Amino acid sequence: MKKLNQEAMKDIIRVKSLISADVETLLNQQIKKEAQSSSAYLSMASWCDRNGFDNSAEYFFKQAEEERQHQMKFFRYVLDMGGSALSPEITNVKIEYNSFREIFEEALDQEISVTQSIKNIAARCHKEQDYVTVEFLNWFFKEQREEEYKARRALELFDLIGEEGTGRWEIDKHVGKIHYGNEAGE
Amino acid sequence: MQNTTLEVSTHLAEVYSTVKGAVYQSDSEKCWYVDFAGKMARFDYRNILKLKKAIYAIDIEEILLNSSKAADVEIVFICACEHCYVLTLLEIISFKELLEGTFVMLSLNQILHDRLYRIAA
Repeated sequence: MKKLNQEAMKDIIRVKSLISADVETLLNQQIKKEAQSSSAYLSMASWCDRNGFDNSAEYFFKQAEEERQHQMKFFRYVLDMGGSALSPEITNVKIEYNSFREIFEEALDQEISVTQSIKNIAARCHKEQDYVTVEFLNWFFKEQREEEYKARRALELFDLIGEEGTGRWEIDKHVGKIHYGNEAGE
Repeated sequence: MQNTTLEVSTHLAEVYSTVKGAVYQSDSEKCWYVDFAGKMARFDYRNILKLKKAIYAIDIEEILLNSSKAADVEIVFICACEHCYVLTLLEIISFKELLEGTFVMLSLNQILHDRLYRIAA
C-alpha cells in the first residue's frame, strides 16, 4: 500500500474542480434555460403592456428579473466550484402571442420544464454522490414550488372569472395580487 | 521525439497510451504532456479540457459521409493555448481514442483517491 501511495498520480482534476464535467455541463445547460426563461418572460411583459394588461406586464417583468437572478446563481456556483460558466446565446425569442390566456399557459409550461430540468440535474448528482450540488439545488426546488403555484393560479383565474365582458380586465387586476407564502398553506 | 519522451519520463506518469500516442501527467507542474502527431505538447487543466471539447466536437461521421473535394483535414486550434493540431480523419479518430482513454484513467484515478486516501480506512 505504501508503494502505491508513493506512486499514485495526483488527482489534479479534483483539486481544480469540485463538480464533475457532467454536472458542469448540466449546470451550463440550466444557465441557458434560465436565460431563455428570462427572455421569454420579458417578451410576455412586452405583449401584455402593448395590449393594455398593465398588471400582468408588471408581473412578467418581475418574473424576468427573477429568472435572471436564478441564472446568475447557477453561473456563480459553477465558477465558485472551479468550473467554467458559459454565457449563453439566446435566439428565437417569441414576440407575438395568440391570446392573453396563451401567455399564461406558456408561462406554466416553462416553469414545469424548469422544474423537470433541475430534477434531472439532482438525479445525476445523486448518482455520483455530489451532495454539495444537491444542497445547492434545494433552494431552487423550493423556488419552483412558488413559481409553479403562481403560474397555475394565474391560469385558474381564467376559469374562475371567465374572459367574457370585462373578464380579462378583471383577470389582469387579480394577476397582480397572486402571492405565495414562504411555506405551504401560508 | 523518442528522446524527448525518455528525457522527461523521470517525473512523468503515463496516464494512457495507444500505438499512436500517449498522455503523461506531471504532478510537480500540475499539467499533462500529450505526445501525439509527432509532437509533445504541454496542457494545463483548462487547456486539456478545451482540447477534449474541441476533439469531441468534431463530427467524424459527417466527415466520413462528406463527398466534397476538400481535404479531410481538421485544424484544431485551442484558444489561449500555444498548440494547434492539423489532423487527418484517421488522426482525429486516434486522438479521440487517446483522449477518451485518458479521461477514463483520470476518472479512475479520482475514484482511487476517493476510496484509498480521502475516506479514512
